Amino acid sequence: MRIPHEWRRRSFWVETAQAYLFLLPALLVIGVFTFYPFVNAFVLSTQRVSLVKMVDGQRIPFYREPVGMANFQALLRDRDFGRALVQTSVYVGITVPVTLILALALATFLNKGLRLRPFFRLAAFLPYITPVVAISLVWQWIYHTDYGLLNYFLGFLGVRPINWLNDPRWTLPAVIILNVWRYVGYQAIILLAGMQSIDKEYYDAATVDGASGLRAWWHVTVPLLTPQIFFVFIIGLIGSFKVFEEIMILFQGPGPLKSGLTMVYYIFNQGFERFKFGQAAAASVILFAIIFALSLFQLTVTQRRVHYER
Amino acid sequence: MGVRYIVGAMVVNRPHGVLAVDAIRVRRAGWQLLVYAVLLAVAAVMVLPFLWMVSTSLKTLIEALRFPPTWIPEPARWENYLAAWNAAPFGRYFFNSFFIAIATTIGEVTITALAGYAFAKMNFLGKNVLFMLLLGTLMIPGQMLLVPNFITIKRLGWYNTYWALIIPWIASVFSIFLLRQFFRTIPDEFWDSARIDGCSRLRYLAQVVAPLSRPALATVALFNFVGSWNAFLWVLVMTDKVELRTVPVGLRYFMMEMGTDYPLLMAAATMAIVPILILFFFAQRQFIQGIARTGLK
Repeated sequence: MRIPHEWRRRSFWVETAQAYLFLLPALLVIGVFTFYPFVNAFVLSTQRVSLVKMVDGQRIPFYREPVGMANFQALLRDRDFGRALVQTSVYVGITVPVTLILALALATFLNKGLRLRPFFRLAAFLPYITPVVAISLVWQWIYHTDYGLLNYFLGFLGVRPINWLNDPRWTLPAVIILNVWRYVGYQAIILLAGMQSIDKEYYDAATVDGASGLRAWWHVTVPLLTPQIFFVFIIGLIGSFKVFEEIMILFQGPGPLKSGLTMVYYIFNQGFERFKFGQAAAASVILFAIIFALSLFQLTVTQRRVHYER
Repeated sequence: MGVRYIVGAMVVNRPHGVLAVDAIRVRRAGWQLLVYAVLLAVAAVMVLPFLWMVSTSLKTLIEALRFPPTWIPEPARWENYLAAWNAAPFGRYFFNSFFIAIATTIGEVTITALAGYAFAKMNFLGKNVLFMLLLGTLMIPGQMLLVPNFITIKRLGWYNTYWALIIPWIASVFSIFLLRQFFRTIPDEFWDSARIDGCSRLRYLAQVVAPLSRPALATVALFNFVGSWNAFLWVLVMTDKVELRTVPVGLRYFMMEMGTDYPLLMAAATMAIVPILILFFFAQRQFIQGIARTGLK
């Protein structure tokens, strides 16, 4: 093995020592509260954890004993876990594309109506930056069957009052509507910033080639916007898989007949309502596997298909 | 704009060139009208829930349950806010939220600036491996860490303490990455001349890099403050004492106690949102630049 040239210089080692001093606080916090628990989650998923256990007359907190794959087998048998998996997938499968398509349309409109942008920015950011608990509380009131704003407006269209919060069929739609509303403005602003960084020359060239309007949008805007579209997509995907807080506040539980039970809700329920830490950890590992697989898949797609300017 | 306009006119049939330009103009105006109509409609949908929240917060319960609903409360009952404030220890909740948000923000800006600087401007053993490792953690869903972190917090004896709500949140990989990107744009010549003057790296970071990077540091501070203010699940899991509840957690318990007293609930929700709104108004540019920057890699 060849020793790198810079290793021979004393200054390199001085700088290395200094750099690690700079990094120390960050690495300590991230190590203890991100790396360690990440590894620990895998270990815990193969153990049974008792909150307190008497061993030889001593109280041992978080007593752990290995159980192999038993937690994962329990997950497979648990119909609630299957339900959480399916419901989360349905939620993600609808929310992410719907939000993205609406955001893209919105950004296109904003790009044409720039004069409204300052006002619109405020309107778009409001749902994104305000506390989700407060937002969900407001929507709980909006979804009220008899006095809620949404059923009132739907009444104009001749729609009969929908029992948003008590009818299991409407649980996921209620969460989806809330979160599309929450994220569409934010995503549109990001896409808009991308659109504005596209050089005007591309459009001039397209016009000369006889492509304008919708065709220029499809052949110039969308391809050159793929980095931003990808970013928004992946952020949306990962964020959506973690949906939980909205549901807890809207329904004060996992929804009627557990129709709002999601992966994270399941983890929360197993871990902190039933104190089955091992099984909660096993479910976390599966959540991670899904997100990781999606990220990898996206990454490979990106490397081949996504157009990067510069 | 001008160029495209001329090009557009030339593409159109020449004999009726002038007419065609007029037609384009009319069609343009029509499109513009449609664009603004759509944008206004969308903006209304975005804002309506908040207006509805404030409107309800100023009504009596009877007025709130009127159908069809009214928008302007007659009269506006501002005393609802006082009633909500006194119905739960909101003073304590707000103190906790402010204290935790400010503490984590100070810690985060300091710690991630140090780390970001090391990654941006220093040459050291294991730099690339470490950086990739850190970036890899961005793929870990935070909820996956909840159970193991709960055990850690209990073990450290931090359950039901401010430590549990502050220390784990003073370093984020995302902020390190953001600052690193920004610090990299600062020319190396500054450091070269500072070093000749006998300046230490720490002093250089504090007195040269930090002032030059104010927008990026402000973005990190803002995101952290807002994230801390809005945090819910972590606080819910790591504490169970009333004295440690933050505004969102307090709001949730308030909701469970109040049931369907919507005016008071909406008053409380409004109070929870107002600090973020004020922050947004004062730092709008920073917010927008920050969000646009993260979106633009």
